[in-house]
Amino acid sequence: MKALATIAGRRAVAAALLGFATLLPLGAQAADPGITDNEITIGLFGPLSGPLIAYGIDPLNAAKMLYEDVNARGGIHGRKVKLVIEDDKCTPNDLVAVVKKLTTVDKVFILHGGSCTAAVAAAQEFVGREKMPMMMLNAAGDNAVFPPQRYIFGSFQGTQRTYASSLTEFAQKQLKAKRIAVIVHDDDYGRANLATARAVAESLGMQVVAAERIPPNITDVTAPMLNIRAAKPDVILSGAYPAPAVLIAQKYGEYGMTDIPLLQAAQGIPTPSVFAKNVGNDAVLKNFYHTWAFNDIGDPALKEKWSAMYKKANPGREPGPFMISGAPSALATIAALEKAGRNVTRESFVAAMESLDIKPEIMAGPIKFGPDRRDGLRHMLVIKYDGKTQKAMPGVYSWDGKSGM
Amino acid sequence: MSTIIVQAVVSGIVTGCIYALVALSLVIIFKTTDVVNFGGGEFVMVGSFLALFALVYLGVGYALALLLAAVAMFALGVTFDAVTMNRIGGRLYTRQTELVPTIVATIGLSYLLKGIVRVVPYTEEPRRIPPLFNAPPIFVGDVVIQAQDVVIVVATTLIMIGLWAFFRFTMAGRALRAISQNARAACLSGMPVRTLRMVVWGLSAGIAAVAGVLFAPKLLITPDSGTLVMFAFAAAIVGGFTSLPGCVVGGIVLGVTQNLVGVLIAPQAISVTPFFIIMVVLLLRPQGLFGDAIALKKV
Repeated sequence: MKALATIAGRRAVAAALLGFATLLPLGAQAADPGITDNEITIGLFGPLSGPLIAYGIDPLNAAKMLYEDVNARGGIHGRKVKLVIEDDKCTPNDLVAVVKKLTTVDKVFILHGGSCTAAVAAAQEFVGREKMPMMMLNAAGDNAVFPPQRYIFGSFQGTQRTYASSLTEFAQKQLKAKRIAVIVHDDDYGRANLATARAVAESLGMQVVAAERIPPNITDVTAPMLNIRAAKPDVILSGAYPAPAVLIAQKYGEYGMTDIPLLQAAQGIPTPSVFAKNVGNDAVLKNFYHTWAFNDIGDPALKEKWSAMYKKANPGREPGPFMISGAPSALATIAALEKAGRNVTRESFVAAMESLDIKPEIMAGPIKFGPDRRDGLRHMLVIKYDGKTQKAMPGVYSWDGKSGM
Repeated sequence: MSTIIVQAVVSGIVTGCIYALVALSLVIIFKTTDVVNFGGGEFVMVGSFLALFALVYLGVGYALALLLAAVAMFALGVTFDAVTMNRIGGRLYTRQTELVPTIVATIGLSYLLKGIVRVVPYTEEPRRIPPLFNAPPIFVGDVVIQAQDVVIVVATTLIMIGLWAFFRFTMAGRALRAISQNARAACLSGMPVRTLRMVVWGLSAGIAAVAGVLFAPKLLITPDSGTLVMFAFAAAIVGGFTSLPGCVVGGIVLGVTQNLVGVLIAPQAISVTPFFIIMVVLLLRPQGLFGDAIALKKV
C-alpha cells in the first residue's frame, strides 16, 4: 500500500513538473517583446528627411498626437504607449533597416510606419518571418496589401483600385458619362488603376475610349493628350503622380479640352494650392475633380478641430495637407489594442485587426479588415477644385473589393 | 489625324529644343576638356530653382531672375572646375584628361547638388516658373503654339549660333579648340589652359541655368529634374558629341520621334525611344549625324 502511495506520489510530482515545464514556455510565449504591465512599445516611423519628407513629418506627428492623447486618458487597458521614432526616408533599404532595428534592438511590440508603398513592400518578407504586426502609416499603394500579407495592414486612404473605382462611379452617377478616357502610369499602380477603371466602367455600362499608359518620368504629354482628345471622351480619369498630373492639366487647358471634366486621383494633387499654381491658369480647372479620403474638406468645423488639436500638440507648427493622413492608422491601432484586451499578444492583435470595423468621423468610410483583406478603406469622396476653393461633391463612392483584381 | 501629327511634331520641336539646350551645355565641356559631365542635369535643376527663388523671395523681374541664375551658375561652374577638376588633374590637367576620376567627380557633383537642394524648404513638391510671356496661344489651323514655345525655339537657336560663333571667330574660342586638340601643346604655346577651362565650365553651367529657366514653365522643377540629362545625352549622341548644330538637330529629332511614337505606337514606348535611337545611331553612324569622324588624338 505504501509502495502504491509512493508510486502515486511520484506520478503526481512528475505530472506536476511536466505540467509546470509545459506551462513555462507557454507563459514565456504569451509575453511578446515590447509589452510590460504598464507599457506598450510601438515603433513609429516615416520619412523624416529626404525628398519625400512632406509625406512623413506631419502624418507621423498626427499619429504621435493620438497616442499621446490616449496616454493622457490613462493609456490602453492601463498601459501607456511608448514610442520609438525612426526615419525611413521612404527608401526600401532605409525602411527595412529601420524595421529590423525596431524589431531586434528596440524590441517593440508592433510596428507602425511607412509612407511609401515600395518601401513598405520591401519589408514584407522580414515582417512575415518575424511574425511582427505592421500598420502602414499612410502608404496606400496596392503592392503592399495585394496579395494580403498576414502581418501587414494598411491603405487607410484607399488603394489605386479604390481611387479608380470611385472616380469611375462618380463619372457615371454625377456626370452621366458614357465614354471615359483613362491616363495612368506604366507601372504596377497604373495597371491596377486602369484594370479597375475598365472593370467598373463595364459594369456601369460605360466605354473606355482611350487608355493611355505614360512613363512616370515623362517630360511631354502631348502624345497621350492628343490621343485622348481624338477619342472624344465625356470625362478624363487621371491616376498620374504630382509632376505628370500638372503636365496633363496644362495640356488639357492648352488643347481646349476644359469642357470635358478632368478627374484626378488624390496622389497627383498633394497640395491643391501648389497644384493650381503649377498649372498656372485657374480657368483650366473649371471642370476639375479629385478624390479625397477624409471628411475635413466638406466639414470645416471638423477640419478646424483637427487643426487645433495638431497645433496644440505641435506648438509653432502649421499642419500640412498630409497631416490628417497619419490619423486613421493610429486610430485603428488604438482600437485594435483596446479590442484585443489586457492580455494582448501580437497574434491576438492581428486577430483584433482582422475583425476591426470602425468609422472615425474624419474618414469618408469605414476602416475595415478581414481574414483576406488588408486594405483598410474602400470608400472615397470626390472634391471639386477650381484653383481656389474645394467643395465636396454629393455621395460617397467605393470599390467592391473585386473589380480589377 | 494630320492635325494630331502636326501638333505632335510642333510640340516635339519645342521639347527637343529643351533637350538641345542642355545638350549644348554638355557638348561645350566635352569639346574642350574631353569630360562627360554627368552633373549637367543638376546644373539645369539648380539654375531653375535659383531663378524661382529670385522671383519669389527677391521679387525681381523675369529678366533679372534669369540673369542672376545664369551668373550664379557661371560662378558655380567655375568653382567646381577650380576646386575639383583642376585638383583631380593636378599638373596632368594640361595633358590628356583622366577619364574615370573626372566622370566620378561629375557624378559626385550631381549627387551633391541634388542633396543640397532636397534639404531646402519649398522643394518638396514640383514647382513651376511662370512663362516669360503670358501671351495668348497662337493658332495655326487647329494646331496650338504657346508663346513660351516660340521663346524656347528662338533662345535655343540664338544660343547655338552664339556658341558656334564663339568657337569659330573669337580668340578664346579658337584657343579652346586648340586645347581640345592638344592641351599640352596649347599650354606650351602660352595659352591659359586652366583659366579657359574654368570659363568653359562656367559657360556650360550658365547655359544650363538658361535651359532650366526656359523649361521650368513647361516641365516643372523638382530636385530630380536633373534626370533630363539622359535625353540631353541622347540628343548629343544623335547629333554628334562634338557638334553644336548637331545637338540642336539631335534634340529635335529626339523630341519629335518621342511624340510620334507616343501618337502612332503607344505612349508607354516614349521612354525607350531615346535609347532605341541611340542604338541605331551608334550602329549606323557612331560619330553621330554631324560629329567629326572618330580618330585617335595625338597626345
